Amino acid sequence: MTLRDLYLRLRAIVRPQPVERELDEELAFHIDREAARIAAAGGDPADAQRLARRRFGSVALVADQCRDERRVAFVDTTVRDVKYAFREFRRAPLTAFTITSTIALGLGIVAVVFMFYSAMFLRADEVPEPDRLFEVRRPPEPGAGAWVAFTRPDYEALRSQTTVFTDSVAMITGVAARVEGRAFNGTLVTTNFFETIGATPMLGRALGRGDDERPGSEPVIVLSHRGWTQFFGSDPNVVGRSVDLNGHPYQVVGVMSAGFRGLGITPPDFWTPLGRLSQLRQLSSGKEDSYAIDIVGRLKTDVSVEAATAALSTWAVANPALKEVGGHPKSIRLVARRGSLPISALDGLLGFAPIFVAFGLILLIGCANVANLLLARGLARQREIGIRLSLGASRRLIIRQLLTESLLLASVSAAGGLLVARLTLDAAVRVASAVMPPELSELISLAALAADWRVFVFLAGGAVFATVLFGLAPAIQSTRVELIRTMRGEITRDARPGRARDALVAVQVSASALLLIAAAVFLRGMMSASAVQPGLRTHDTVFLEMTNEQRRAALLQAVEGDSSVAAVGASWPFGIGGTLAEANRVPVEFKFASPEYFDVFGITVLRGRLFTKAERQPSAGVVIVSETAARRIWPDRDALGQTMTLDPFERKGVERLGHDVVTPELTSRSLTVVGVVRDARVGHGMFEMVDAGVYVPIDASSAGASLVLRVNGDPDEARRGLIERLSPVDPAMGRITTVRTLAGLAGNVLALASSVAVALGVLALGLTVSGLYSVLSYVVARRTREIGVRMALGATKARVARLVLSQSFGPVGVGIGAGAALAALLAAALLSTSASAEIDGMVRVFDPLAYLGSAAAIVAACAIAAAVPAVRAARIDPMTTLKQE
Amino acid sequence: MTRTAAPPDLLPGTLDLLILRTLQTEPMHGWAISERIEQISRDVLQINQGSLYPALHRLEHQDWIEAEWKTSELGRRAKYYHLTPSGRRQLAREADEWTRLATAIGRVMKLA
Repeated sequence: MTLRDLYLRLRAIVRPQPVERELDEELAFHIDREAARIAAAGGDPADAQRLARRRFGSVALVADQCRDERRVAFVDTTVRDVKYAFREFRRAPLTAFTITSTIALGLGIVAVVFMFYSAMFLRADEVPEPDRLFEVRRPPEPGAGAWVAFTRPDYEALRSQTTVFTDSVAMITGVAARVEGRAFNGTLVTTNFFETIGATPMLGRALGRGDDERPGSEPVIVLSHRGWTQFFGSDPNVVGRSVDLNGHPYQVVGVMSAGFRGLGITPPDFWTPLGRLSQLRQLSSGKEDSYAIDIVGRLKTDVSVEAATAALSTWAVANPALKEVGGHPKSIRLVARRGSLPISALDGLLGFAPIFVAFGLILLIGCANVANLLLARGLARQREIGIRLSLGASRRLIIRQLLTESLLLASVSAAGGLLVARLTLDAAVRVASAVMPPELSELISLAALAADWRVFVFLAGGAVFATVLFGLAPAIQSTRVELIRTMRGEITRDARPGRARDALVAVQVSASALLLIAAAVFLRGMMSASAVQPGLRTHDTVFLEMTNEQRRAALLQAVEGDSSVAAVGASWPFGIGGTLAEANRVPVEFKFASPEYFDVFGITVLRGRLFTKAERQPSAGVVIVSETAARRIWPDRDALGQTMTLDPFERKGVERLGHDVVTPELTSRSLTVVGVVRDARVGHGMFEMVDAGVYVPIDASSAGASLVLRVNGDPDEARRGLIERLSPVDPAMGRITTVRTLAGLAGNVLALASSVAVALGVLALGLTVSGLYSVLSYVVARRTREIGVRMALGATKARVARLVLSQSFGPVGVGIGAGAALAALLAAALLSTSASAEIDGMVRVFDPLAYLGSAAAIVAACAIAAAVPAVRAARIDPMTTLKQE
Repeated sequence: MTRTAAPPDLLPGTLDLLILRTLQTEPMHGWAISERIEQISRDVLQINQGSLYPALHRLEHQDWIEAEWKTSELGRRAKYYHLTPSGRRQLAREADEWTRLATAIGRVMKLA
């Protein structure tokens, strides 16, 4: 193809009118010139035109041949195909609408799952070469769960002593802070962070060198796009504003773009220099250097990951400042830190597969409806296609026509899918924000995920796949017709549409059964979770964290004087549960607790006594154990009166950096058991939480101690009131959480899972029922004459109704059986995995009531769907029907 | 995609050669080309006048000839074709080919 050719063809496509005009003019000129010649040669001028035309031949044919030389016919054909398709949609608008809306619905909700998947595994931060960003980690010693943390001095050493990175940064994520009284989530970074990562601000400036250590000057923060939109209403003039952060004025110097999420899945609300750590966390002076940090580096382009790992491991071994933990060799691992989880997309897909399948079942059921619809319509189409074939259309032409039709439907479906996904996500965010306890919704500010190009590709691909598979395949089948018989109006029956219809209904029913059984299992699990009596008082208790030792006395006084507070106890650590220790060499969780703690939580004593009012220091030498801990430490004798040696794990050389910086001292290590209390456990299954096994006395005035409050009335209301009244006393006040929320976590997760499962199950059943209804209606409509004849020959109405109903028995029965079998198979597979104990503790996967209830729901729904066409069939008047013939 | 729009008594591809050869001397419009071919061949090659145009358009797409609208002897606009450089090379090739074929056929005729 030459350039000139391309130009001429393009011109013919883009500006067809002048091209056509020129062609007409050129041919007309030829005839006029020929006529002029004939006239000049002495011919009759009136005859000259006619003679000239005769010599030329058919102008129309020549013009057509000239057009063919342009070879742009495909454009014309496409335009024609599209026009034809639109005519087809107009003729059967309901069919087109049903197809597109069904696929849009199914695809839309699968797209929601895809958006989560994409956000977790595919999406990277919008920075140059995100794949060269790596976090430096120390693998844990065998048996210990967490990675071994780095500290600021480790980072400085790594930065100056190794050469594998162009530069590296240190960061602390998840730093809670109060900005203008609202809970913000911040990330502290070294000042080279934005430059090294390559993120540029949308407004103002990013953090730079010099922002870190400038005593006297106002500290600065940079907002994330999320923090900017959620807390500052996208105010374009926010840069330069001074905000109150934990009681200190901070200046907003910039806002980052939405595409930069700070190398995590969800962005923090703000970034501020690492040097401000002591202002955000109440640290004893000198403890800054022992706080745990993340180290992220940008790998040099000519250094491979393996080479860098080896070089860094060598550095770690040679560095005496890196403490050896548990005799484990100091090795280094590099983990991708690009803004998505450091797990390959394929492994992520494996984890996501069950969710994709569950949501995909809706799409499958919808597609089965579409296929059923097209099977029914295929018969009508067959005659039309037969006529077109017999008029000389090639099969290729007709298939291309059908393909155009499918692709048009697909693009409409994809657009609809995007809309469905958007609406579903918005609704989900709204519901979640409404249902979530306030502590969580303050922390996790949910923002609907944004659709990026991956989502568009996914939707377009999915729509094309669905429409082509379920729309085109039956259509191609229908071009294989026998011309003569089709022309005579006989429809070839080789396709056996009845059997295909039954199979489709069976597939739909089994998919619905599977989803409904899952929903029922979750629902039952949720009900039994809420029925369990918690072992500690949750309905009127609140945890209050104290982070500011300077304000402890004032805060304590304010709490004790508050009208909503009925009782005050103290404990360390914050929340339910304790910290690991060895009691007489048996690993247990221990906790500091004040004498009032047991009263606030309603923890009852089984044997012995609780702490006396005077026993409020570890030096009192007394200890209380839970019944389980007592059995584990002294399996063969009564714990009461025994002496125990308590060794917190920190003393064993395990680094526990960055947890609770102010730790009460365990001054006495030899303790006498004065009481045995009932186990204080809440939740169950995967989310069961057990309070400590060993309690050591403490007082609310001790450094580090958190408060536990029993409040009057609703704890959420009391919590709101406390925040309001205590904020002026200590602007940097720590977390306040109702115990109900902490204890309800298992219930929350189950509630979420069951509401999603129930929504999917109901949607599946609805689609299945509508599919069954339309299939039976179609069958009744087609067999009206046959039914009329039967009735004329003496069949009763009941018999006719039964005939119709019996059509649905087979596929529905097979479907329920297959669905239940599939569910049982999945349950068995789940129980064979390592998570079986936790799953079993939460839900009963073989709950017979769930299986029976789901089957009953399906049978009832299908019976209603089948009853309507059955009644319609019974009402057929044989006389009218026969007269119509 | 070569179409033979020429009448059956013309060898395939001959029409292209004739058009290119005719345009060698000066730019011409379609009618003049057909007239010239008839004159030179002394009315032996009576090509169907209409069939000339698809050939012209094809040659234009192949970038062997180029068209230009100019005022004609009738006083109105007409589409004048002229050879492009690549058209000249094509003409030389086809002319060579033709001469070889003609010589070969001439030899066969003499010997037979």
